Amino acid sequence: MNIAVCVKPVPDPKFYDKITINPETKLLERNKIPMAINPSDKNAIEAAMRLKELLGAKVILISMAPPEAKEVLKEGLAMGIDEAYLLSDRAFAGADTYATAKTLAAGLNKIGLFDLILTGSESVDGGTSHVPSQLGEMMGMPHLNHVMAVETEGDILKIKTKIENGYMLYEGLPPMVLGVSKEINTPRYVSLMGVVKAQGKPFTVWGLNDLQLNADDVGLAGSLTQPGSLRTPPIDRKVEMLDGDIEEKAEKILKILYAAGVLN
Amino acid sequence: MKINGEIWIVAEQVKGNLKEVSYELLGKAKELAVKDGFPVTAVVMGSGIGALPADLIAHGADKVILIDAPRLLLYQNDIYALVLENLIRKYSPGIVLFSASYSCSELSATVGAKLRTGVAAHSIDLYYNEQGELVQVVPAFGGRVLGEIFCPLTRPIIASIKPGVFKKQAKDTARQGEIIEEPAAGLEHYQSPLKAVTVVQEHLSGVPLEDAEIVLAGGWGVGSAEVWQLLEKLAQSLHGAVGCTRPALDEGWAKGEHELIGVSGKTIRPKVYIGFGISGATHHVVGIKDSGVVINVNNDPNSPVFQISDYGVAADVKELLPKLLEKIEEAK
Amino acid sequence: MLKFSEQQEQLRKVVRDFVEKEIATIASKIDQEDTCPVELLRMTAQLGYNGVFVPECYQGVGLGYTERAIILEEIARHSAGFALALMTHHLGVYAILTWGNEEQKQKYLPKLCSGSIAGLAVTEPGGGSDFAGMKSTGELVDGYWVLNGRKCFITNSHCADINIVVVRTGEDEKGRPRMSVFVIDENTPGCKPGRKEKKTGLKGSDMGDVILDNVKVPASNLIGKPGDGAKIGLGTISEVGRSGMAAIGLGILRACLEDSVKFAKERIIYGRPLAKLTNIQFIIAQNRTDYEAGRLLTYNAVGIKDAGLPCVPEISIAKYFTTEAAINTAKRTIDLMGGYGVICDYPVDRYLRDAVASIPSGGTSYVMQIIIAGSALS
Repeated sequence: MNIAVCVKPVPDPKFYDKITINPETKLLERNKIPMAINPSDKNAIEAAMRLKELLGAKVILISMAPPEAKEVLKEGLAMGIDEAYLLSDRAFAGADTYATAKTLAAGLNKIGLFDLILTGSESVDGGTSHVPSQLGEMMGMPHLNHVMAVETEGDILKIKTKIENGYMLYEGLPPMVLGVSKEINTPRYVSLMGVVKAQGKPFTVWGLNDLQLNADDVGLAGSLTQPGSLRTPPIDRKVEMLDGDIEEKAEKILKILYAAGVLN
Repeated sequence: MKINGEIWIVAEQVKGNLKEVSYELLGKAKELAVKDGFPVTAVVMGSGIGALPADLIAHGADKVILIDAPRLLLYQNDIYALVLENLIRKYSPGIVLFSASYSCSELSATVGAKLRTGVAAHSIDLYYNEQGELVQVVPAFGGRVLGEIFCPLTRPIIASIKPGVFKKQAKDTARQGEIIEEPAAGLEHYQSPLKAVTVVQEHLSGVPLEDAEIVLAGGWGVGSAEVWQLLEKLAQSLHGAVGCTRPALDEGWAKGEHELIGVSGKTIRPKVYIGFGISGATHHVVGIKDSGVVINVNNDPNSPVFQISDYGVAADVKELLPKLLEKIEEAK
Repeated sequence: MLKFSEQQEQLRKVVRDFVEKEIATIASKIDQEDTCPVELLRMTAQLGYNGVFVPECYQGVGLGYTERAIILEEIARHSAGFALALMTHHLGVYAILTWGNEEQKQKYLPKLCSGSIAGLAVTEPGGGSDFAGMKSTGELVDGYWVLNGRKCFITNSHCADINIVVVRTGEDEKGRPRMSVFVIDENTPGCKPGRKEKKTGLKGSDMGDVILDNVKVPASNLIGKPGDGAKIGLGTISEVGRSGMAAIGLGILRACLEDSVKFAKERIIYGRPLAKLTNIQFIIAQNRTDYEAGRLLTYNAVGIKDAGLPCVPEISIAKYFTTEAAINTAKRTIDLMGGYGVICDYPVDRYLRDAVASIPSGGTSYVMQIIIAGSALS
């Protein structure tokens, strides 16, 4: 089995409350925030590793990201992935999900044929959850997003996808593109041996010229949506602290509930 | 490029029942239509759903395109996307709005890729700017940032909208509208590579979070399943609903994802919101910012959660909850 | 300039991920319950922490003491108590790795890398650094060594599977005691934990007595030669024990630094964050400087150890500095936080207790100063 996992390095979500917008440049100030593998992409790596352990597979990782992402992607290798491909070029900058999916598809097609292409169901920074579907369309493969479980029965893949208050079960044959959600598994912790072994695994970097794409297919030029300005949502309120002992605090809350008309 | 075409909404129905978000989409579409003068069209797909168009018209649709076919009984992304792709190619609408539920946001992305047009995800606002362009406001970085998205070159513009964000119009059964029946074009020769085997959905009891006048939300600071029980009890006695943050859900205290509030959960606007043991992380807070009165209880008097509260209570949740319960029982 | 390799940076990141998810969340519970979370030690074994400096041929990771210090710093950032349990396990591992014969290494190291917990029992009621005053004995009877005595203040006393003990096995020709080291297998009759101490800090690593009551071990369990006891015991503690304590002190320093910065930024007083006040900035500056100095001393010392060079003075300096600085830094952080510094909802009182308890572990500051002075004056 050949499995590809598409991974996005994102600013580490632990620090999102520290993200601010520069009032003058209107640009995101996130330079101090370290990068991490997008959380649900880690679930995708884990899902691939479990299939590898169960059925035997070669698993590669692919990402479209700036060159600095190399160290972050090595964590995927440390989790057990066999090889990594980083698609990196100034021309890729500013890509929306469509241009991203197109670039990833070009990279995947260059690497070879895959039975399964896995990715996280959504990125924690942009959070569109579009790439799994768009990539599926571009690869010409069946695709499902928000996958909570994957099992194999012979050649058949049994896939459980998340819907509001429940799930759906699908069956189908590979190849397939699946966007996995966090419910699918708990990603393993990286062992120190994994870190050591990751250093020696193949790591390929490709630019625009390595892929069969033109500059206007990728990046901002190849994007169908364009970003406008950014702002932080106004959420602050002026707080009044309720003091007193626990008895008084409870009474004060009750008074507020009466005043708001939710308690009669 | 200006918008030149109708505004469509893709209604979401489950087992023949329209979901609230369908009305909310209509509400927003009407607002946009006032500006550009195009009729608002609802597309509804399924099997045995002949009663739905009237309901959509009563909630503001000027036209309804009904596609009623046995193969559309269960939502399946590839089948629905193929039918919608053909329909959109036939009518060339200017804007198509989807719900941002799991299935419909997947559908919006798939249809967008098939039509090679831009899609904005989980929009929380849509409006025309002075240049007449449609501005789609989407959350990023867990709601910490709101970004504008434009779709300058391709049509239709597709957007998925978070449920609970827009207001629906009052139902008016006297409204008139046109109903167009369309076949499920494209399916004649289409053999899906996927087989949908089952759908499992649980029926939820209690006041739905998005309809409750008072919401009690719990976070990681609630501390234990036992204390969470008190929160549930208090909600019951106040006829309110319980909401939660991601950590409380991960701990297994909250009943399920339907109780989750925030970027990856629901957007609510109750009269009163009381948070217990909530850290104030943006991805939760954006889901409650339009609430009436916001009260937060946290044992850390310096907790950042108080910055987004009207009233702050520095107290131990497990001491305050029983006290509140006692007082409310007394008051009854 | 202190610069870590890419691999070391990656290692720190993955350890931090683990610590934040599995240890930080229960650090206060570990402190309150004061029992060693043994299951956590089995988890760290699976990730390679327990055998980080053991060569791959014995199922270790084959890295060095710098990597070990990184692991201990990251753990001690959230739980110095648990870090001490792991750090003590490493002492047993080191003794076997360094002075054990091939057969012993083959027998014990794979186990100790994969989840069995080691303890090293040297100290006795008569004193820790005074080897000659040791009273526990080992006698050769019918080809077996029979061990008797009581060891006290032994970390991992109640959770170690494999104990390494130093006992007196006779006297040399000049009448000086001859100390020897034995490894005691799991479930050996007569070897059992005794009284468990209640410590000021570093809770979450068991500390108590190890009782040797006619413990019979085969001659093959002798580590090194008869009489190697002082060399093995001191060598292990002075290089691996104290460098581990330096890393733990460093973790406490970082905890204080990070928490003081966070509090100073969040706490609003007279309408402004505490951080705007000059005297608060002084505290932050001192905390930062102590952490940075401790970092340079510690990683310099373990770097020398990794290079295979004599490192005892440098390690003593690092241990002396970081543990003493941790006390001062924790105290300053408590002062900065006012009342919040001493209520248990904030961990900073734990940092102070941990820092205080780290002074005697591996030798007090006075012992460190004697070594440092001795090296300077020699």
